[in-house]
Amino acid sequence: MSVIPGVVAINTFREAVRDRVLYNLIFFALMMIGAAILVGQISIGIERMVIINLGLSAISIFGIIMAIFIGVGLVYKEMEKRTLYSLLSKPIRRWEFLVGKFAGLLLTLVVNTALMTLGLGAALYCVSRKFERADATILVAVYFILLELALVTALALFFSCFTSPMLSTLYTLGIYVAGVFAPGIQGISQFTSNWVLAVVTRFIYYLLPNFHNFGVIAEAAHGDAVPLALVWHNTVYAALYVLLILVASAAVFSGRNLK
Amino acid sequence: MSKRSQNKSHTRAMLLALVAVPALFAICAALQMRIDVDTLAMNQDKEELLLRSGPLLQKLSLGYESLLADIYWTRVVQYYGVRAHKPGATYEQLWPLLDITTTLDPNLMIAYRFGAVFLSEQPPGGPGRADLAVQLVKRGIAENPDEWRLYQDLGFLYSIHLKDYKKASEAYLEGSKNPNAQIWMKVMAARVAETGNELETSRLIWTGVYSSTKDEQVRRTALQHIHSLDAMLGLRRLNESSEDYWRKFGRFPTSMQELRDAGLVGGTLQDPAGYPYVMGPNGVPQLDPKSPIQLESQQGSGTLR
Repeated sequence: MSVIPGVVAINTFREAVRDRVLYNLIFFALMMIGAAILVGQISIGIERMVIINLGLSAISIFGIIMAIFIGVGLVYKEMEKRTLYSLLSKPIRRWEFLVGKFAGLLLTLVVNTALMTLGLGAALYCVSRKFERADATILVAVYFILLELALVTALALFFSCFTSPMLSTLYTLGIYVAGVFAPGIQGISQFTSNWVLAVVTRFIYYLLPNFHNFGVIAEAAHGDAVPLALVWHNTVYAALYVLLILVASAAVFSGRNLK
Repeated sequence: MSKRSQNKSHTRAMLLALVAVPALFAICAALQMRIDVDTLAMNQDKEELLLRSGPLLQKLSLGYESLLADIYWTRVVQYYGVRAHKPGATYEQLWPLLDITTTLDPNLMIAYRFGAVFLSEQPPGGPGRADLAVQLVKRGIAENPDEWRLYQDLGFLYSIHLKDYKKASEAYLEGSKNPNAQIWMKVMAARVAETGNELETSRLIWTGVYSSTKDEQVRRTALQHIHSLDAMLGLRRLNESSEDYWRKFGRFPTSMQELRDAGLVGGTLQDPAGYPYVMGPNGVPQLDPKSPIQLESQQGSGTLR
């Protein structure tokens, strides 16, 4: 098996660290400390819930911002700096380069998310002085956020293969928002009496990456269990969808004239 | 990499994509169906409305409150549509959703008019909260005093659901003062005041609702009520014939055929769903047990033995 994607991934991760991408952790830490101090003063009985909601939402939002803004520049930046040409002159296949870039950004996001989760755990401990069994759902929610980030990264990378960072950002963000509101699209198909609209909206519902699947922050805040089947199905869904986007990206990128 | 080998590589990648992408989409769609089942089971009993304050949402809407109201109205329709006539359905969020919708856009007439119908329907067709429906319509009138249709809705709520015929008549009369109001508003005011508790009057009101809306959900509800009232009127007529039979023969009929043979009834003795009426014990006519029609609560002079 080729080690090239791994090498590209490590270099992408190093580059992100060099670019001070992980500095957002400072902001996250300050926010969690502030919330832990303030929440006791302004809310009664729901301190834990506020911390979990705030922490998980912040992990998700920070991750998505990073995935989009770094992801859309992954290929474009290499072309702008002309480093891609020297890279591809070596025995590296284009798909290997793409997979490496994807894995590198995902690694950055995993490290970032893991550190933020530790911060959330610390804030939670400061507020309630204990961990409960139900808090395990927080880890499921974090895992789902990572699946979501993998999908967003793949989308950003896909658009980065053929368009400018500005347009890639718009496209990725647009698909993300549409994917979050996917149940609303399905709702149209259920309630419209126009069969053409029903078929079209149903098709769009299944075509779009369904980001709503990964939203279990409310369950985590309430300590409700997430069915194991959902964890398993979401994992396979995200993996297959990422594979799909990477295959499409490789096809587009392989035909790209880099001269 | 040479140009030729690059072309070859591109062709290979395109072929792979052409086969793999649709196949993966199909698998993802199938998987999504399984996930929908998982999430449905998880969210079955959950009714969440994070922001309940209309004024707060109005501030957060950044000037797009009208658009937001449209979105909330869509949510109302979906919320009601999913639950309507499902046994055990709860409608906890119906009022908050309508409250938010009408706060965001106080001129959204459809939200007052249909919202009132949704709120006032008895379970399982709705939450049976005619009091909240009246509150909603009154709010609509305060915001849109020129809309005579809202007075019609108010009269409808008072007469059909709250049985307050005096207030119903007042509402119809108030609405009839609007120069654009239909002439029958005055007729309704007089008729409800005199014979509000009669089945014929109820039927007239529901027919007014049916003919004044294009919304399928509301039309369906109105039609169910009209059918129910027609069935009650049919049963009442048969009941009168059954009493005539008793007076004539000193006993109650045991079948519809006996009534027919005695020349007391004629024509097709069917309910509006097409099921024949049947004779119950003591000569009390009844609906066929298989008939989908559900009778209204026994009202007015339509009381049966």
